[in-house]
Amino acid sequence: MAMNLDRRNFLGLAGLGVGAAALAACGGPSTGGSVASSGPSDVDFTGVKPAGSFDFWTSHPGQSQSVEQSIIDKFQAKFPDIKVNLVTAGANYEEIAQKFQTSQAAKSALPGLVVLSDVWWFRYYTNGNIIPLDGLIKQLDFKIDDFQKSLVADYQYANKQWALPYGRSTPLFYYNKDHFKAAGLPDRAPKTWQEFADWAPKLQASSGAKYAYIYPALAGYAGWTLQNNLWGWGGSWSNGWTFNCDSTESVAALQWAQDSIYKDKWAGVSSKSAADDFAAGITSTTISSTGDLLGVLKSAKFNVGVGYMPGGPKAETNVCPTGGAGLGIPSGVSKEVQLAAATFLKFMTEPENTAAFSAATGYMPTRLSADMTAVLAKTPQIKTAMDQLAVTKVQDNARVFLPGADQEMAKAAAKILTQQGDVKATMTDLKATLDSIYTKDVKPKLKS
Amino acid sequence: MTRQLTGSPAAPAAPAQTVPARQSRGRWSGRTRRDFFVFLALALPNLALIAVFTYLPLINNVYYSTLDWTLGSASATVVGIDNYINFFTSSDAPQVLGTTAMFTVVTVGGSMVLGLLVALALNSKVRGTTFARSAVFAPYVLSGVGVGLVWLFIFDPGYGVLSWLLRGIGQQSPQWINDPQLALVMVIIVYVWKNLGYCAVVYLAGLQSLPKDVMEAASLDGANGIRRFMSISVPLLSPTTFFLLITTMISSLQAFDLIRIMTPLGNGTSTLIYEAYLQAFGAYNRAGYSASISVVLFAILLIITVLQLRFVERKVHYS
Repeated sequence: MAMNLDRRNFLGLAGLGVGAAALAACGGPSTGGSVASSGPSDVDFTGVKPAGSFDFWTSHPGQSQSVEQSIIDKFQAKFPDIKVNLVTAGANYEEIAQKFQTSQAAKSALPGLVVLSDVWWFRYYTNGNIIPLDGLIKQLDFKIDDFQKSLVADYQYANKQWALPYGRSTPLFYYNKDHFKAAGLPDRAPKTWQEFADWAPKLQASSGAKYAYIYPALAGYAGWTLQNNLWGWGGSWSNGWTFNCDSTESVAALQWAQDSIYKDKWAGVSSKSAADDFAAGITSTTISSTGDLLGVLKSAKFNVGVGYMPGGPKAETNVCPTGGAGLGIPSGVSKEVQLAAATFLKFMTEPENTAAFSAATGYMPTRLSADMTAVLAKTPQIKTAMDQLAVTKVQDNARVFLPGADQEMAKAAAKILTQQGDVKATMTDLKATLDSIYTKDVKPKLKS
Repeated sequence: MTRQLTGSPAAPAAPAQTVPARQSRGRWSGRTRRDFFVFLALALPNLALIAVFTYLPLINNVYYSTLDWTLGSASATVVGIDNYINFFTSSDAPQVLGTTAMFTVVTVGGSMVLGLLVALALNSKVRGTTFARSAVFAPYVLSGVGVGLVWLFIFDPGYGVLSWLLRGIGQQSPQWINDPQLALVMVIIVYVWKNLGYCAVVYLAGLQSLPKDVMEAASLDGANGIRRFMSISVPLLSPTTFFLLITTMISSLQAFDLIRIMTPLGNGTSTLIYEAYLQAFGAYNRAGYSASISVVLFAILLIITVLQLRFVERKVHYS
């Protein structure tokens, strides 16, 4: 049965097209009014009963699936009326964010509780995707004073608390004790990168490893680990909302990093995972997350040492950024689900559970009263990570508050560290990009 | 061998259809009506699925490309064609378009040329060709994610198989993953390896359907193997080549899984489709901007397909 495209058919098809276009306009975001948003206001839970079940979306940071399930089992023994569905919503923070953002766009299938990393929670806040927890903290009597203050402060904005710490980490300096011994070096991390530059040739000469130090893989949060170098040299990605990554100090820090690879030739850049490269003996030292500690200790066939992050010529201490993930409650679910999720959140962050989580993963305990005696007896290296918390700093706004900034920093780092690009020019370009992201994607959404 | 074209000058003039067509409107016979309902019953479910899962998202995407919309945000601003202007005036555009062109040309050319060579080898009457055909085709049906992960281990400069082999001859492994140019080469190698089996099998089917009498006649006339291949096989394979050109080009322009697994940052490997993914879901959450890149990709695919149908098909010999 042939069909000719005559005028009537053409008009019919055109009508269908217009109808489809109108249908398309009905879906997706609202285009009326201002895009400015600074998250929902505090929610009143008076008279609300917790829902019977909710989904907990996690990427199981630090291979924590079994410890998460065991905490859920304990929770359900205590609260049999609230069922927690443990959902693997991604293999890492980016994948879980992708799924969460997609569900927000689809306006369906949202979880009651979600893992959110340091670079994602703020855009959830600006998009109005998460609720402030202040009311729930008060109503459910969270012992907020017992939390690590700096970790709680990471999720505060506009005088509200938008998440609570969960799988929290810092970078840590990992070193091969056997290589250090063979090179006649002290059994400790270097105090500064300059001190390490003196050690590096000795390590290279005696260890047989390809590198004395390997920079973390650029796809693995280069903006986070290089924060340490910038601070050590007196530079930064940004100061408040002023993006100064092209300052003399910042350029000097990254020039030194480039020289360690191309001029002094004792450093390399990891292709996939610096922790795996270190455990495989390819390098004598590296920096990696505290969340990698147990994995490295398990797989390394040598004595592993850990230490504080080295300082630089301008700052020897307070050069370690905090990082990792917290837990937030979406705004797009019912109050009943939010209350049930908050009940679990309180349980999840109680001292004995944060200690169990820490023991299983190497992440830091988020509660001051967490009894870590048994954990430290088994894995004394965790103590270094815990002690380093006292000398950490909150990351620069540019990395954690600007969408896509971490990706741009990684691209800039790739240009400098793997293509020997001009450091000043690369950082000037990065500054322009960060300025543009802030002006276009962040500034309009901030409360004046 | 002449191309069978519709509307050939030798064809008799078609009888006028206007009057019967007009008369039939509104006066269907019982059989015609029955056929029509059968047609509707068979076609409508599929048409509905295509409309909902292909055309509606396509139209939605065009609409989203006119918005300044952050993925996850409930509100957006209509910006007209600003996203398109921003893309074409950005410093990333030449790099993304260049990477797309390079990736497509090399993977299509590589898969087809190597596929044809492999097909010629598989077409010979020697022992083990059945196993060889299965082995060559197997990578095509493997998961791109699995293939990408395995090849990442092979290319890893620290402890990969390739690095180990190179060390054996006193060479250092290149930085396949960190160096943007080498990352593109790496992904292209793996993509061609995975897809040449498809081209080989389709070419093999084409080779086996070539008329033997023509080959035998050419042999009797003294044409050697190369002459027979160039003057008979290649022209007679042109419908197969044309089919492969369209399908592999569309497939290459839509390649995603290997790039995503092997180079998650897209450093040096960001083709149009991967850039669209990165912009919306990677880190930036620029859903409207990403939609505009997808529309650009759609337009390029449409133009290439139309050009191929309009011009390349003229060179095709249909026996």
